[in-house]
Amino acid sequence: MNYETIALLMFASMMLLLITGQRFFGVIGFVASVFALALWGTGGEEMPFNAAFVLFNWYPMLTLPLFIYMGYMLSESGIADDLYKMFHVWFGPVPGGLAIGTILLMVIIAAMNGLSVAGMAIGASIALPELLRRGYDKVMVTGVIQAGSSLGILIPPSVVLVLYGLIARQPMGHLWLAGVFPGLLLASLFIAYVAIRCYLQPNLGPVLPADERQVSWGEKIKLLGAGVIPFLIFFAMTGLFLMGKTSLVESSGVGAAGATLAAIFRRRLTWQVMERTVRKTLGISCMFLWIILAALCFGAVFDGLGAVHGLRYLFLEKWGLDPWTVLIMMQVSYLIMGTFLDDTAMLVIVAPLYVPIVIALGFDPIWYGVLYTITCQIAYMTPPFGYNLFLMRAMAPPEITLMDIYRSIVPFVLVMIVGLTIVMIFPQIALWLPQYYYAR
Amino acid sequence: MPKAIRLYVRYVDAVNRAVGRSVMWLVLVMMLVLLYAVIARSVFGVSYIWIIETSQMLLAAYYILGGGYSLQLGTHVRMDLLYSRWSERTKARMDSLTSGLVIFYLIVLLLGGISSTVYAIEYNQKSYSSWAPLLWPIKVVMCIGIVLMLLQMIAIFFVDLAKALGLPIDGEPLEEEKLQGQELK
Repeated sequence: MNYETIALLMFASMMLLLITGQRFFGVIGFVASVFALALWGTGGEEMPFNAAFVLFNWYPMLTLPLFIYMGYMLSESGIADDLYKMFHVWFGPVPGGLAIGTILLMVIIAAMNGLSVAGMAIGASIALPELLRRGYDKVMVTGVIQAGSSLGILIPPSVVLVLYGLIARQPMGHLWLAGVFPGLLLASLFIAYVAIRCYLQPNLGPVLPADERQVSWGEKIKLLGAGVIPFLIFFAMTGLFLMGKTSLVESSGVGAAGATLAAIFRRRLTWQVMERTVRKTLGISCMFLWIILAALCFGAVFDGLGAVHGLRYLFLEKWGLDPWTVLIMMQVSYLIMGTFLDDTAMLVIVAPLYVPIVIALGFDPIWYGVLYTITCQIAYMTPPFGYNLFLMRAMAPPEITLMDIYRSIVPFVLVMIVGLTIVMIFPQIALWLPQYYYAR
Repeated sequence: MPKAIRLYVRYVDAVNRAVGRSVMWLVLVMMLVLLYAVIARSVFGVSYIWIIETSQMLLAAYYILGGGYSLQLGTHVRMDLLYSRWSERTKARMDSLTSGLVIFYLIVLLLGGISSTVYAIEYNQKSYSSWAPLLWPIKVVMCIGIVLMLLQMIAIFFVDLAKALGLPIDGEPLEEEKLQGQELK
């Protein structure tokens, strides 16, 4: 059997076994260890545990549990309540204003956290019930929350970019800064979509009733104070990191401590809150880290087959494709795989294959990291497999059906593909900020 | 289910729950170690050589020892294209068939872990760094974690099998704890 057949067999058996619904980490680990034993013979049984030491040496992975902890702590601390109230008052008078306010809320949450969990938890618990009570269209607001919270992995800090940086060996500071403007671009596109849609169909996002709009300017200005704590957390974490005062991992420790302090300051930190936060953090961290552990072994076996060279040969020499066609094919393959596969496993397995090709083609690996992250955001929302879909299903009130959730993402996925295309055509949207900042 | 299996499930559940509920607090320890590093450097101008490796060991212990409890919490994602549409019974049937895959993986993981640990003890293996801590303690901890994960997975297999066959199993120690608690009142 030649190597291409073996590589295909590995992927096919993984897909087939995943359909049984067994846990991701188990299926990936099983396929990896079977092929390791079959192909390597002696020493093959060492490969799964070797992956544990590769992961051990990935010091930046420490940011993962700390950001997860931070996300849950932020949603428990109640600082989002004040922020929501602020946007509520400021944007209420506009058609669709509360949905627009929710997107802006998600941008602020994203600037404080590196995953989409915090945004989803806050969106589903605070924004969603309010929006439904005000007669907003349930399909639209479900989409707003899922799309908005996915910005968490693009706007710095970002755990996905940390993982990408580890695999592609790229500097984290550059990657984080590169995510800023594409993140804001996507947020603006979401807002534009909601504003236009609600302007055309005002019944989707009714204006706040007049008596609720009677808020004095003094009151309005006072509400802006809700932005102070988030800004402090953002500065202590991302600010100090970019200034070179703290290392990447230290900054996540500072952020976690900041979120805890915010909860103490707002008198929300009870024993139950602490226990719940720490328990959920363990559960989600273990889920991610065991998937990464198994996927690293899968990737090592795959790499041993010479898959990188095989793929490069196939794309560039055998088929003679031009760079852009290759790039677009890669993005499309990510999009398709992302709907079925776990995004973390996909990154660990596929990025080591794609990144060397991207560099060989003369593209910027930092920019490619941003493209990858946007694709990942789309993958978070597309059925059958997506983290935001799972979270939405678990947290949504009963009047929102599974069909509503599936329907809600369609326009936002289209908007995100538009955003992805814009960033592909104009790489400077991502690249000017890191170039400007690090050139000084 | 035979009594031996019921006891096995109950004890494994209890042990993993206790271990998991202890190591879940390590996230706070990691946070404090990192904060200490930041404060020591920026306020007192001291850098410690043990910070990075200590945090790495904490992370390894955290997710490997916590693995068994995370299986109990049910946080591990599955591809649920078909799975979410099945009845509880069908899910249990399929799971009891495919648990073997996970168990196989964990056994291979454990074999590699043991061989790596034996090597580390025999040659007094140290980390390549200026601090150069011994590596066998963390490897032993990782092996214990993998064993706990394996035991939990086997327990889950028994529970799934019981559900698939429609046999009663008191594999829910949580319920029992609650009942005992009520009796005590």
